[in-house]
Amino acid sequence: MSKALGLGLGIIAAIGGFVDIGDLVFNVAAGATFGYQLLWVIVIGLIGIIVYSEMCGRVAAVSGRAVFDAIRERVGFKGAVVALVSSEVVNLMTLAAELGGVAIALQLLSGLPYRWLIVFAVVAFAVVIWVTTFEWIERIFGFGGLCMLVFAVVAVKLGPDWGKVGAGFVPHISHVNRMLYAYFVVGILGTAMTPYEVYFYSSGGIEDQWSPKDLGLNRANAILGYGLGGTLSFALMITGGALFLSHGISPQHLGTVALAAEQPLGQLGLLLALVGILFAVGAASIDTVFAGAYNLAQFCGWEWGRYRNPRGAPRFALTWLVLLLLALGILMTGVDPVALTEYAVLFSVVALPLTYVPILLVANDKAYMGRYVNGRFANALGLIYLVVIMIVALAAIPLMILTNVGQN
Amino acid sequence: MSGKEIDIGLHVLDHQLLDKDGRRCGNVDDLAIEGGVGEVPEVVAILCGPGYWGQRAGLVGRLAGWIGGGRKVRVPWSEVRKVDSAVELKRGATELGLGRGDDRVRPYMDKIPGAGR
Repeated sequence: MSKALGLGLGIIAAIGGFVDIGDLVFNVAAGATFGYQLLWVIVIGLIGIIVYSEMCGRVAAVSGRAVFDAIRERVGFKGAVVALVSSEVVNLMTLAAELGGVAIALQLLSGLPYRWLIVFAVVAFAVVIWVTTFEWIERIFGFGGLCMLVFAVVAVKLGPDWGKVGAGFVPHISHVNRMLYAYFVVGILGTAMTPYEVYFYSSGGIEDQWSPKDLGLNRANAILGYGLGGTLSFALMITGGALFLSHGISPQHLGTVALAAEQPLGQLGLLLALVGILFAVGAASIDTVFAGAYNLAQFCGWEWGRYRNPRGAPRFALTWLVLLLLALGILMTGVDPVALTEYAVLFSVVALPLTYVPILLVANDKAYMGRYVNGRFANALGLIYLVVIMIVALAAIPLMILTNVGQN
Repeated sequence: MSGKEIDIGLHVLDHQLLDKDGRRCGNVDDLAIEGGVGEVPEVVAILCGPGYWGQRAGLVGRLAGWIGGGRKVRVPWSEVRKVDSAVELKRGATELGLGRGDDRVRPYMDKIPGAGR
């Protein structure tokens, strides 16, 4: 049992990273537009995030240093300022979007007004983070998000054409609407490897006080946690393909995604889906609000971490409180949460290379890592994924413009 | 790493400072190096605080340093106990004048119940 609970970090990082509000809609929309043709892209993104999470978790366990420490040490002060600004903008936009998602899920469950639920969600998060230990935060949101597994049942119950599903796992290029296909490829890869996942994961390893003897736990967290996140992404895309493709519906709203569970499973399916979505976007809120506070604290050298409690790390606590308030302000303007995550991708493009290159460099530093430096396998994959990340970073903005943010 | 050669650009500059109790109390924002022509240059102090950011990154650094309050703390190199993945110091943060920002915010956080949990 305690072994299973030790997987909380990987699960909350992966559920928050892989099935956040943007991905929920994006994966179902990808299925609704291209059927099962894009499943292979999830696999590629999944391997990439596992490789880099394992790496930064190993660095954290061996050296006690998190990702933003590595960024400042390796790209220098100026580069770190750029990385800090872009990552904080992405974190804040994403945090606002996820809290909006929490409010939408609560609204669908309760029928109360959206704006009141936003305020309720922000206050609830502030209280939960203030009073709950990091381990329990991991458990509540990570394991609560497991209700999302209802979508795996939905995907199977909808009886997709398994031959076509299998074919979707083979990398290929679409013959129709290539530009939109490329937009989805880049979008799926970009969100699978959003930088906030590694910020949260590496600092979370330090919150959980990992040491070199926990390297097995790190590997299990990276592989099983993200494996689960990837499985949920497959399920969402298959659901989108099986349910919406033939009807020509493209979901733009979180509620549409939840309704997909009602079709084969009835009221109980809908309820589980809504609770799952609530915890999944809740996990993403946790990932992003903590990532924002970790990054600023590590850049400045402040004491940080929920394990230090607000008295031990006062500026860190102040930072996450301020981030929650700023997110509240953004949401009160009435902005659409899903649109917000799509635009957040624009800023993550800058943060992507500035985040992943330093991880690879530090994981290869003998002075830092001793005998735990990267092996050839991790380095080969790490280098391949740096190329993938560069392509994503370069292609994201032109494709967003050319496809009008995926609307054509 | 004591006894071995270290690259001060790579393994000291921009690294985390830890006081004798392992408290995080700033980063190595810059280094004071002395030594004229023909002499062996020597690191004499760690420079810590947003006030030193301007000399690292021009206008952006000055702006960030101004937002950060512009504090400057000089820690003599003799206070360094060990250079590892972080730079560990011989004394407590408060004694060295480090981590003041956290000390200033702490009383406000303490007013909220449960700050010590």
